[in-house]
Amino acid sequence: MNILSDIFNSMLPETILIFTVLILSVFSMFYTVEIHKLSKWIALTGIVAALFSLKYLQLEPVYYAFFESNISDTFTVFSKALVLISAFIVVLLSKKNVSKRNHKTFQFYALLISGILAAMFVISANDFILLTVSLEMMSFCIYFLIAYKKEYLSKEASFKYIVTNAFSTAVYLFGVSYLYAVTGCLNFNKINEYFLQNEPTLIYTIAILFVSSGLLFKLAILPFANWVLDVYEGSATSVSAYIATIPKIAVICIFARLMVFIFGNSFELPIILISLAVLTAIWANILAIRQKNILRILACSSSANAAYMLFALSLTSVYNLSTVLFYLVTYVFMNLGAFAAVIILENSNYSSKLHEFRGFAYSNPIFTLAFAICIFGLAGFPITSGFIAKLYLFSAIVRSGAIFVPMLIILAITMVVACYYYTNIVKLMFEKNRDIENEILPYKTSSPTVILYASAFITVIIGVAPAWLIEICKFVAYNL
Amino acid sequence: MNLKLLIFSPLIISLIFLLPIFSGHSVFIRRAAKTFACVHFIYSLLLIVFYNANLPLNFSDEITFFNEKWFGSLGISLSLGVDGISVLLVILCSFLTLMSCMASKGVIKSKHSLYYSLIFMLETAVLGVFCSRDMFEFFLFWELELVPMYFLISLWGSGNAKKSAMKFLLYTFIGSLFMLCGLLMLYNFNFISTQELTADIGNLNFDYDSVPIYVQCITSILIFIGFAVKLPIIPLHNWLPAAHVDAPTPVSMLLAGILLKMGAYGIIRFNIQILSDAFLILVPYLVILAFINIAFAAVLAYYQTDIKKIIAYSSISSMGIVLLGLCSGNLAGITGAVFLMLAHGIISAALFFIVGIIYKRISTRDIGQLGGLALVMPKTAGFATLFCLASVGLPFLISFPGEFLVFFGAVISSLLNNYLIQVVALSSIIVLVLSAIYILKFLHKSFYGQLQLRFDSACDLISHEFIILFSLSVVIILFGVLPMPIIDLVIPAIRQATEAFGG
Repeated sequence: MNILSDIFNSMLPETILIFTVLILSVFSMFYTVEIHKLSKWIALTGIVAALFSLKYLQLEPVYYAFFESNISDTFTVFSKALVLISAFIVVLLSKKNVSKRNHKTFQFYALLISGILAAMFVISANDFILLTVSLEMMSFCIYFLIAYKKEYLSKEASFKYIVTNAFSTAVYLFGVSYLYAVTGCLNFNKINEYFLQNEPTLIYTIAILFVSSGLLFKLAILPFANWVLDVYEGSATSVSAYIATIPKIAVICIFARLMVFIFGNSFELPIILISLAVLTAIWANILAIRQKNILRILACSSSANAAYMLFALSLTSVYNLSTVLFYLVTYVFMNLGAFAAVIILENSNYSSKLHEFRGFAYSNPIFTLAFAICIFGLAGFPITSGFIAKLYLFSAIVRSGAIFVPMLIILAITMVVACYYYTNIVKLMFEKNRDIENEILPYKTSSPTVILYASAFITVIIGVAPAWLIEICKFVAYNL
Repeated sequence: MNLKLLIFSPLIISLIFLLPIFSGHSVFIRRAAKTFACVHFIYSLLLIVFYNANLPLNFSDEITFFNEKWFGSLGISLSLGVDGISVLLVILCSFLTLMSCMASKGVIKSKHSLYYSLIFMLETAVLGVFCSRDMFEFFLFWELELVPMYFLISLWGSGNAKKSAMKFLLYTFIGSLFMLCGLLMLYNFNFISTQELTADIGNLNFDYDSVPIYVQCITSILIFIGFAVKLPIIPLHNWLPAAHVDAPTPVSMLLAGILLKMGAYGIIRFNIQILSDAFLILVPYLVILAFINIAFAAVLAYYQTDIKKIIAYSSISSMGIVLLGLCSGNLAGITGAVFLMLAHGIISAALFFIVGIIYKRISTRDIGQLGGLALVMPKTAGFATLFCLASVGLPFLISFPGEFLVFFGAVISSLLNNYLIQVVALSSIIVLVLSAIYILKFLHKSFYGQLQLRFDSACDLISHEFIILFSLSVVIILFGVLPMPIIDLVIPAIRQATEAFGG
């Protein structure tokens, strides 16, 4: 075996990120307050270098590294690119959050980059041991990131996350051990081969049910979704942006791989997953109506969107996978745009309460337009990418069979409910504020502003001309 | 004749109006909007000049991005084209937009540039619906129309406008999501039976053996729910009176004039033309729904005290007649339905404008407080009488040919083996007496009788109002006397749509 060739062919971006984390940790020990601004640049440099190094990974044929525990193909490279791009945006968004406690900036970025690193390991896992370790590492970073804000709410949120995660991890490991008991191996390819030759038994069904429920926690699907509202509200907003995007991308990608390689032999699992997805969509969308805080609304919306993706994902086919990837890409940009808008407001001393948005359309029209585009994208109105994504995802579900149409109709009704609360946000911004005059947000080119406008722009561009992205998604899905 | 220009020029104008340099110039914006709407209307009239009745599809065109189709690999494209029905509705839409731009003077008092920009955005969306040749493009424009309409009602409305706008949005959105499910099933089963990915409305055809009939029925029902919300059909009509009452007058004119027509247009395109086998099975139920629409809405209209609500419910009742015409499934019935769509578009816009005039003068719409306005507003009363008579269906006014053709078509319909359609048609004719009662009640209570003293100072029509009412009444009389040009225009398209029923 050849460690160097393994690293260069399949793990180059991870290696760069490891070095970035090391540099950040070293700095955090010595120079904390004086050069705290440097931390952001180190983190950004590391991410950009990792993004460029993706070009040198081996795609064809599929490369297996480290005793087949790590895989590198088109699918992983695509997902890693998506993770790194959103990581870049998240780092830019967290500037203000960090500068309040500037002796801890290096630690914050070190934790953030470790979380991203873990997400990339999750994506390229081809073995249950690597998957378990990297999933745990990803959650570990999130515990600290949530608690970083040092307030009562954030500590409570962190604790809630730890407890729920511990429970779901236990269930997951239980499932993995059953799977090992049935097949005698932990490698995805070998398990797949085993089930090509042997009939799946009842224990197999139970095992994969447990394994998948461990992953559902990260997606905030119903039995494991009680953490999502408090965590989004309690943690710093940029950390919420991180939790809403990067772990979700990673888990959806590994879920797709597991669906293809291991879960595919089961007939019962898709039914259970679809019912869970529908239940979650109903729960999250109804819960969101009563919320008065935009972060809690975004939490519900992230849970609901994950449910839509899970619906299409559990009916495994190349076409469905491409629609899920398309939905993922559009969702990431719209969501980051919405979070950027919330962060801009917080930087100008507004809170994230909904009623403070009143009358924004008259004092800050361009900001409102960009924010409204992101929100309407999440609601799925036309000329935004959300519309195309919804259309494409639904077409996949209908194509999977006519029996799923009733479920789809339930999903569609929940989307109407979603449309209510999304529109409510925009409506508030157009309402006249009678109590106080809104102050005009400073028109300086801070990074959240640029991100908000860029995400709104991307949302519209994909909504108008989606063909190229669909081609890419189809290509990637075909290569899994 | 360029369809792209016709459809997207309002959008471009609306984006220009959004520029911050126009934010202060309310008079300039209004005049620019009026001028543009006028030019657009004249341009849309060119459609008739260059229209070739022998071709199934005129002016076909396609929007591409960098020479690439919209969803090339899935067979979905942004292709445009018009046939006779579309031409008629496009011109109606352009005409009513002009009318409502003119009617906005004095009614809209704030945020002028945003208002006209939303009106033109709405026009683009509606024109897009009428000119789409691809079902997902159709759906795109269908959804696109929601956003400007929502803001038009909620920002400039009165009373409970925010709630009504949200009601409108949610009802239509839920309907359109059902429609999306149906369209996707249509797309999918077309793929199964022909092995060819296409969403082109003209090319969709089922191999009726490979797709079971109950699946077609489900598809047809799902799509129909989307149109039924818009039409509206009675259990789904709840948004319409609320939206009409709270919307400002010009928006009500657009809502009644063109938005309701989208539902009927969709039924012709999808339920009749493409899913004709399923339509045959659904016809009995639709006929009963149509009868409920006609009778129930008429009864409800009679008991309203708000005059705007009376007009709103009369719209629902008229749409029931349109649905009855569509259900007859023969050339006469559907032609009558299309003609009635035009007639209702003009008449309801005119009646809403009359209500707006009354409300602007005396700030009340309660029928108990009105009375005797003909003494102070004789010209308004004259026009109102004309429109009310047209709405009742007096011969030589525009809705008579439509209603006549609908009932004629329904009576000679051979779609069902029993006499259900005939029975429903005859009882609808009897029920139509009710519509005469409530419309004449509106006319009588508001314009004739005792004049209240405090209404003494109400002034009669001023110039722009006179122009609007005059042009609307010209249309009403002209096509009442000469209906044949319009019937000739739409007949080839309808003949194509009813091929499956043997004409």
